[in-house]
Amino acid sequence: MKLDPGFIWTSFVALLSALPMTLFITVVSVGVGFVIGSIIALLRIYKIPVLQHIAAFYVTFIRGTPMLMHLFLIYFGLPALIDAISGAFGWTFTSASIPILVFVLISFSITAGAYLSEVIRSGILAVDKGQLEAAYAIGMKTPQALWRIVLPQAFAVSLPNLSNSLIGMLHGSSLAFTVTAVEIFAKANIVATTNWKYFEAFIAAALLYWGITVLIEKGVSILEKRINVYNRGGVA
Amino acid sequence: MIKLTGIKKSFGKQEVLKGIDLTVEQGDVVAILGPSGSGKTTLLRCINYLERPNDGEVAIHQFKVDCKRASKQDIHTLRQKTAMVFQNYNLFKHKTALENVMEGLVIVQKLPKQKARELAVQALEKVGLGNKLNEYPSRLSGGQQQRVGIARALALNPEIILFDEPTSALDPELVGEVLAVIRKIAGEGITMIIVTHEMAFARDVASHVVFMDDGVVVEEGPPHQLFGTPKEERTRQFLKRSIQEWSYSI
Repeated sequence: MKLDPGFIWTSFVALLSALPMTLFITVVSVGVGFVIGSIIALLRIYKIPVLQHIAAFYVTFIRGTPMLMHLFLIYFGLPALIDAISGAFGWTFTSASIPILVFVLISFSITAGAYLSEVIRSGILAVDKGQLEAAYAIGMKTPQALWRIVLPQAFAVSLPNLSNSLIGMLHGSSLAFTVTAVEIFAKANIVATTNWKYFEAFIAAALLYWGITVLIEKGVSILEKRINVYNRGGVA
Repeated sequence: MIKLTGIKKSFGKQEVLKGIDLTVEQGDVVAILGPSGSGKTTLLRCINYLERPNDGEVAIHQFKVDCKRASKQDIHTLRQKTAMVFQNYNLFKHKTALENVMEGLVIVQKLPKQKARELAVQALEKVGLGNKLNEYPSRLSGGQQQRVGIARALALNPEIILFDEPTSALDPELVGEVLAVIRKIAGEGITMIIVTHEMAFARDVASHVVFMDDGVVVEEGPPHQLFGTPKEERTRQFLKRSIQEWSYSI
């Protein structure tokens, strides 16, 4: 086996141009997924009629099927649906004018939403019920009590799991290469095939993913220390 | 004046409150005594709707809520007129002592921050914690946490403060400091209902004592009467047993 160590560096530099795309996909899908996940978690905790069952179905279906499947279902299904609707109403709009990235973001947000809803739900359930009662007792309404008292504590509890999900989505974003979005993995593939140096290019990609992951871990650990100041016991 | 009429509450098939009537006059300190499971805590929690009564009426001055058709707004109003001190303190864990007390003033009563801060500092000084303003609950002893809980209730200037076994979770040596604070604010004419197992405290501080058992009020009256010459056999038994326990504990 011949390894060209110098080319690892060359690939690494080339891959940096795809870094923003990977980060963009990751951040948007986790961000949107966080909002979806919070709503789903609250629907289930408050047992909202009908909606809680839809929410539960969404979570089991998405968690029960691979992320790549979601991407393909959206990538192939949604354009057909849009074109059918557009055709039925006689619009000139077609799905071809929608950038592929949009389908990627929709699909990954749906995936992230399901996983994050469980993280958020367990975080909220970990907050002592007495906290909510105390908030009610001083006259707060439910949204105030959730927003000011329960959710900040739930967030602090969930941080390790949230960071896990973020890292999972970072790595999962590599699946976008299957629908030709040029993120780090797709870029590595391009660099590899054009130079016939697969091993070097993918080593470079691995190093880059690992580097970002380490940064996320460090960032979360700093955040965790700051946010959990109130948990550092003393006397009691 | 706080008036409860015919309060009933069931958990599933278990009827915990079987129609409770209770009147608390302005400035009264009412102690509710009774064995575990008699429904005293549930009754207290029905007043601010942490438990929803199945039947009856809760009235605070002119404001009356029929429990069968209490709206969200009714419940909200009741909660703004009352404050509660919990057995497990339930301080907001992610907020300092000062922030705990300010929270209701700023968010519920919409006072300007500066004014809220002044009132909160005053309340914390009153419970002897003027030097712990910026401590998180996790760094306070149980007795200190409960005093913050009392300051949080006090600062809201409610019509009535509900104490739910305020010393039951405390180490014996910390009970005294909390009772001293309650005694002090009782002396200031604040209306309060205290569910407690501290017999001596109830006798000394309460202006009115209620003995509950099995979801009903068995007997009520001024402390000298209830402790000195109880009319009901059930009350006598309970007091006898409780007072025996005291002598052991010393």
